[in-house]
Amino acid sequence: MSLMRERLVQFISDAQQAGMTSRQTAEALLAAGWGMEQLVSALAVAPAPVVPQQNGTVIEVRDLVKQYGTLTAVDGISFDVQRGEVFGILGPNGAGKTTTLEMIEGLKHPTAGTIHVDGKDVARQTDAVKHVIGVQLQASTFFDGLSLCEIIDLFAAMYGRTVNAMDLLADVELQEKAASQVKELSGGQKQRFSIAVALVNEPVVLFLDEPTTGLDPQARRHLWNLVQKIKARGTTVVLTTHYMDEAEVLCDRVAIVDQGRIIAIDSPRALIRSLLDDGFSKPIVQEQANMEDVFLHLTGHSLRE
Amino acid sequence: METFLKITKTTALMFVRNRQALFFTLFMPLIIMIIFGLIGFDKPQQYDIGVSVTAPQPQTQQFIDQLSAVGVFKIHQAALGDELAQLKDGNRTVVLSMPANFIDGAGTNTQKLTVYVNDSQQAQAQAVQSILTQYLDKTSLALAHAPTYFSVVPQHVDSRNLSYIDFLLPGLIAMSVMQMSVFSVAFLFVQYKEKGVLKRLLATPLKPFQFVAANAITRLTVSVAQTAIFIAVGLLMLKATIVGSYALVLLAVILGALMFLGLGFTISGMAKTMESVPVFANLLVFPMMFLGGVFFPLSSMPDWLQTVAKFLPLSFFSSALRDVMTKAAGLGDIKWDLVGMIVWGIVLITAATYSFSFSEREQ
Repeated sequence: MSLMRERLVQFISDAQQAGMTSRQTAEALLAAGWGMEQLVSALAVAPAPVVPQQNGTVIEVRDLVKQYGTLTAVDGISFDVQRGEVFGILGPNGAGKTTTLEMIEGLKHPTAGTIHVDGKDVARQTDAVKHVIGVQLQASTFFDGLSLCEIIDLFAAMYGRTVNAMDLLADVELQEKAASQVKELSGGQKQRFSIAVALVNEPVVLFLDEPTTGLDPQARRHLWNLVQKIKARGTTVVLTTHYMDEAEVLCDRVAIVDQGRIIAIDSPRALIRSLLDDGFSKPIVQEQANMEDVFLHLTGHSLRE
Repeated sequence: METFLKITKTTALMFVRNRQALFFTLFMPLIIMIIFGLIGFDKPQQYDIGVSVTAPQPQTQQFIDQLSAVGVFKIHQAALGDELAQLKDGNRTVVLSMPANFIDGAGTNTQKLTVYVNDSQQAQAQAVQSILTQYLDKTSLALAHAPTYFSVVPQHVDSRNLSYIDFLLPGLIAMSVMQMSVFSVAFLFVQYKEKGVLKRLLATPLKPFQFVAANAITRLTVSVAQTAIFIAVGLLMLKATIVGSYALVLLAVILGALMFLGLGFTISGMAKTMESVPVFANLLVFPMMFLGGVFFPLSSMPDWLQTVAKFLPLSFFSSALRDVMTKAAGLGDIKWDLVGMIVWGIVLITAATYSFSFSEREQ
């Protein structure tokens, strides 16, 4: 259950115990700073489904390094992703998130280090790895002149499969757009379609690179639901994001990356708790911290480009 | 294999649905061909000749009639002042002023025929003068009752007349196959690269060469279709005649398309953005349109230019097509053009493999 939802439920039950009417409770909520967006975000996201059994490691990254000339984009990263979890890679721009993701996907060659996905070495068994992963790239577009169904069929053919395109589109609630072209879709629809295409091969691991960047709050919540649905089926999801609330809601564990290194890795709740244990407090009414605090505490406040 | 068929089919679908590409690869060249076919550049040139006669005589009129019989002369007869005004306006190549007693007086003293020449048409005027001089020489000999020792008997060996449309058709086929192959590939693949489509494909098990081959096969098919449409329009609408083997036409078209597909992929490797594609493409394609023997033969160029122009990829292509279509040339006759295309094909496809890649260059 998300932290916000928990707080909301707490707030309402406190109010009920104090004998307040619904109307009074609503007014008290507004007075306490609960705006429309907070309410929506607390309620729109369904409670996280029971986490499937985590049986072993599905991704194993060891001492990963990527250098571009003298610039070290990724500087010795190691981590494991457990089967069935949603794993977040967080970090400011230029921290090395996308580079790390693209090395795991086999799109970029590491300068040093090893990566195993589903027990296969990405460097040596690139093709086998490509068969078990689904990839949504940051701002990737598809072909002009083809309908959504035709694109799904085309991608399925690349894996030597045939799929029911309508089923996949229904999964991402785009069945009524089946005959449209990608350029006719909204930002959120494009991202959902991109996820549908990434699912054509029923991947073991789904990679999402900043799936909600540039989306409005509604479209973001919609996508969160989709990610949770995919997770509920037992698919492992690895995503990058700039949004701490997103990480808090979606991710079982996160790695915070800065300047090519992992500076923290744990569940969002554990990271928040450890920050609070260090004596952190916020000068506001509710003294609980959120992931945004953890993030900024760890990576500093200065703007990165 | 099934994968490859599906991808090729989808690639073809994308090509056909791209109206802009269809317009530039088919309709534009077809319109050029129809316009050129209708203008008819192959009509023989005519020289407008003004004639002014001071004192008309039956023999003078006879002389003028004989001049009119020369196919390339168009005779205008009027007063000298009027004709000279026409000459000034550029409507006459030369104006002749016939003296009185033009023929009668010829026996006693040399008659002077004054020829006014338009300086802006000197070359044509010279041609007219030499015809006139020959004509007068003949008349002199006839007047002197001199026997005829020589005569020229024209014998038509080439049973068919090569019209301009016959000349143009193979050139236009070569040109549009070139444009289709270069532009449709260069624009599309730079767009794919820019928008991250190629990177997305790289994340699938599809091999890049499969995707490139699917696109190449689509375009080879399109180039054969283009050729068929051009030949059909040429034969049915513009009364072109084609004498050679269609199998050789097909061979030349496929070699030509392969060679220019290589150029297209080379350009899409060189161009970083969509905006730079037309710069590269036009730099390489545009000069070839004029130097590659499409609209006029290489022999009409200065010698130094010919030596350069005849080694252009398009020159080999248009020359092979033209020799087959207008002269019924066989495989042996066009072997050097084919060799030229194969060498260019190897050079350009090799350049493409170095220049073009699915993944972004990592410094």
